[in-house]
Amino acid sequence: MMKGNKKIALIATLLFSLVAGGCASSTSAPGETASESGKDGQVELKFLHKWPQPEYYPYFEEVVKDFESQNPTIKIKMEAVADEPMKDKLRVVMGGGSVPDITFSWSGEFARKFVRSGAAMDLTPYLEEDPTWKASFIPASLQPFASDGKQYGIPLRFNGKFFVYNKDIFAKHQLEKPKTWDEFLELLDKLKAAGETPIILGNQSPWAAIHYLTGLNQKMVSAEVLAKDYDPKSGQFTDPGYIKAMEYLKALQDGKYFNENVNSNSHDMATQLFYAGKGAMIYLELEEFPTVEKSLPGKWDFFELPDIPDGKGNPNYITGAPDGFIVSAKSQHPKEAIAFLKFLTNKANAEKMVKQLGWPSPIDGATNPNTALKQVAEGVEVMKSAEGMAQWLDTDVHAKVADVYLSNIQLLLDGTKSPEEIMKEVQAVAEEVKQEVEQ
Amino acid sequence: MQKTFQNARSALPYILPALLLILSFVFLPMILNVYYSLFRWNAFSVERDFVGWEYYVRLFRDPVFYTAVKNNSLYAVISIVVQVGGGLVIAAILEDRLIRRWQSLFRTIFFIPSVISIAVVGLLWQLLYNPDIGLVNGALQMLGQNEWVHAWLGDSKTAIFAVIAVSQWQFTGYMVMLFLIAMHKIPEDLYESSMIDGANRIQTFFKITIPQIKEMILVGTMITVIGAFKVFDEVYVMTFGGPGRSTEVLGTMLYRAAFRNDEMGYASTIATVIFAITFALSLLQMKWSRSGQEG
Amino acid sequence: MTLQNKVYRTVIWVWFLLYSLWILYPLLWLVMNGLKSNSEFFLDTWSLPKQWLWQNYLAAWDAGIGQYFFNSILVTLVSVVLILLLGSMAAYGLSRFRFKGVDALLLIILSGLMLAPQVSLISLYKILQTIGLYNTYWALIVPYVAFQLPFAIFLMRSYFLSIPRELEESACMDGCNTWGIYLHIILPMGRPILASAALLTGMSIWNEFMFAMVFVEDTSLRTIPVGLMNLRSQLNTNFGVQLAGLTIAALPMIIAFVLFQRQFVRGLTAGSVKG
Repeated sequence: MMKGNKKIALIATLLFSLVAGGCASSTSAPGETASESGKDGQVELKFLHKWPQPEYYPYFEEVVKDFESQNPTIKIKMEAVADEPMKDKLRVVMGGGSVPDITFSWSGEFARKFVRSGAAMDLTPYLEEDPTWKASFIPASLQPFASDGKQYGIPLRFNGKFFVYNKDIFAKHQLEKPKTWDEFLELLDKLKAAGETPIILGNQSPWAAIHYLTGLNQKMVSAEVLAKDYDPKSGQFTDPGYIKAMEYLKALQDGKYFNENVNSNSHDMATQLFYAGKGAMIYLELEEFPTVEKSLPGKWDFFELPDIPDGKGNPNYITGAPDGFIVSAKSQHPKEAIAFLKFLTNKANAEKMVKQLGWPSPIDGATNPNTALKQVAEGVEVMKSAEGMAQWLDTDVHAKVADVYLSNIQLLLDGTKSPEEIMKEVQAVAEEVKQEVEQ
Repeated sequence: MQKTFQNARSALPYILPALLLILSFVFLPMILNVYYSLFRWNAFSVERDFVGWEYYVRLFRDPVFYTAVKNNSLYAVISIVVQVGGGLVIAAILEDRLIRRWQSLFRTIFFIPSVISIAVVGLLWQLLYNPDIGLVNGALQMLGQNEWVHAWLGDSKTAIFAVIAVSQWQFTGYMVMLFLIAMHKIPEDLYESSMIDGANRIQTFFKITIPQIKEMILVGTMITVIGAFKVFDEVYVMTFGGPGRSTEVLGTMLYRAAFRNDEMGYASTIATVIFAITFALSLLQMKWSRSGQEG
Repeated sequence: MTLQNKVYRTVIWVWFLLYSLWILYPLLWLVMNGLKSNSEFFLDTWSLPKQWLWQNYLAAWDAGIGQYFFNSILVTLVSVVLILLLGSMAAYGLSRFRFKGVDALLLIILSGLMLAPQVSLISLYKILQTIGLYNTYWALIVPYVAFQLPFAIFLMRSYFLSIPRELEESACMDGCNTWGIYLHIILPMGRPILASAALLTGMSIWNEFMFAMVFVEDTSLRTIPVGLMNLRSQLNTNFGVQLAGLTIAALPMIIAFVLFQRQFVRGLTAGSVKG
């Protein structure tokens, strides 16, 4: 008798505690934003970014703390998920009830998708209101977050893609930075002949090779055609330049300039192999430079994707994009959200970010030899002088087009599909997307 | 007293809570799912466009769908041979008097992989398959099989088999356990009389063991086949459908449509088709099992 | 022992030992490499760690495994308790009472066994958002319970059927109601099958991945399987810590199983469908 009652009591207690716990943990009811005014006029902002790594997270914690102490009525609830999960999470979050007021977003189509569905707030008035704020950004960093003349995102950092090379290996074979594609090929041949692995590529997650293609597409196809094709409403992808771009990439694979098994090594492993001196070059983002310096101190340098003489694209473009934040259209505290973004991008915090995290900042002058690694500052200079940016192909085109590119790029490298076959699929899906967007 | 047990009203309080939960969180979503598959919608916009059967037409024209069905079927066939067939043989051997003393040791070892999360197993095997640092190629090299060394997950021709192999590693022991449990109930004297008749091990296996645990074999086959069409975690973790679309299964196709390409309607369509396939397969198996009982 | 038997036994031993090695070695490799530094992992995957970096385990725990671990335990525990409670009640109702429609009810519940959870993923996601459970522990617990109940009921019902009715009749001489029979006869007698059902459903809940990925979005609510995926992209530069995380995730279930495997087999042997 006793036993049975005890059991029930136990279960009841458990259930009860769970109901209580469950309610406490449910941040908000559906259909409302997460931010609700607290009891004493407190405003809570939900802030989502993509840097949970122990190297990066503390910076955001510090900035949030500083901001809260200066603005005692605002409380920031910060959350972070890493790069890959972010892509899934943002979709879920945008559909769900508790939309963060400030959310990380890549620039380009990734942000435009939220604009189209009305989930992102138009920030133009806030920028117009404060011209000094607007002028503090390097112009090229704002443009990728604009759509139809309106500004939807605030860039946090500037990112570019460069070939990083191992100076020791280059010196050993008396090699120099290439300027043109022909020089590049010559360099690769020499490295191969000397028994080195010329380039390390880890394409298990296919964005790695897509970054090559981002630059190659830009170099081979004229800017107007590219802009038309990357727009979901008018994408056709019939320019022969797209096929040529893939052929250039395939030539690198066919020439055996990459390591073996590109499709089964992850990018993380590829970088580890490069740091261990097992290859002469690797295609890296500016934000990865500090790690390179840590692993190969003083023994590395970088160069841009070499020019291709017969390409129709502007040679003075650079592959890269800013990423940053959008504000939810459902946010009930846009003013406070903007205040936080202003704080995050003021010169002091931008410099702090450059110094502490080694990231290039889109704030003019924040990335300088005093705050940043020499190569990072140089990289930003290159980007500042560039006439435009080729944004990551997989975030710059419609998700379905990106998906076709992403899943086929591995097949291009393992020889299963030809560039023509892949472009046919891209054209078909672009057509499909066009019809859907028009409807 | 007996009267109360004939009374629906006194029985329902026991059954209803579970029934309601199952109805509203298992069956209702399934029905809603068919409805959702008739619309174009995504997770973050409010509008919903009626498209009718358009997605079904598109699905049957989508070459990836056929890749996925082929991969799921491969999964099913290989798993039946290895897990059900192999599991049966291993279980029978463990029941053999010569080995039985060690049965609990071996069945525990064989079962261990099936208590580990598929996410863990997938991440582990991804590393083991790595062509440069992984154990698989290392072991092949050690055995002198250099021509076998291969980028297992990185080659679109071998990737699906590499993924399926991991499932066999993980779940064969589970089947062994199921069969052992059934075999424990076979009366010992059946074996003894078979021995006296002069039957050898193989004859005993086919004449006594298999007919005696027929029902469990059917349950095992059913779990395996339906499981093969439900497969998702291991593919998501190890290849996410790649290289290319070579390892796409229905589960990852659904996930990709819903959470990568923002086509919830298309995802619901795929879900409905998964339901149709698994449902048809279970019906088929139940029919076989019934005719087996009669025969 | 005949020669034939000796050969047979040798062949079997070699086979089973190789099979055991095939299972245990990767797990051993996992534990070993979880103790290595990054460069050692890349340059020397096969050997024992030169330096045993126990702090990898600590780092993995601090990087989030600790929180995920707690979430997994909470979700699994509550779900299993609910499954045992509701499942045993339903199994009792379906095994002891005879009334019109009982077979239909049984069929409905058992056909839930055949449904693939993916089918419900999208609409459950919608439903959970609508009723406000999305992104709470309940968003995992409720679907887990609903999806595991048919299996639990299936197991328990066949066991309860084997409990002799005379027991109840003698117990009820001095008059007791159906609830009393459930509490004082069925539950205590059914303990072995309750234990087996708890282990089996607990196992699948502990390891569930798809719902866990879609139905909660807060990192602080994540369970271990999904948390590990986060950890992978989060600690992309430290493989030792990653592997340590995998080890921590795998160990509790392995230990629980090895400890309880005898009871587990006994419960199932007594309760499962007759062979």
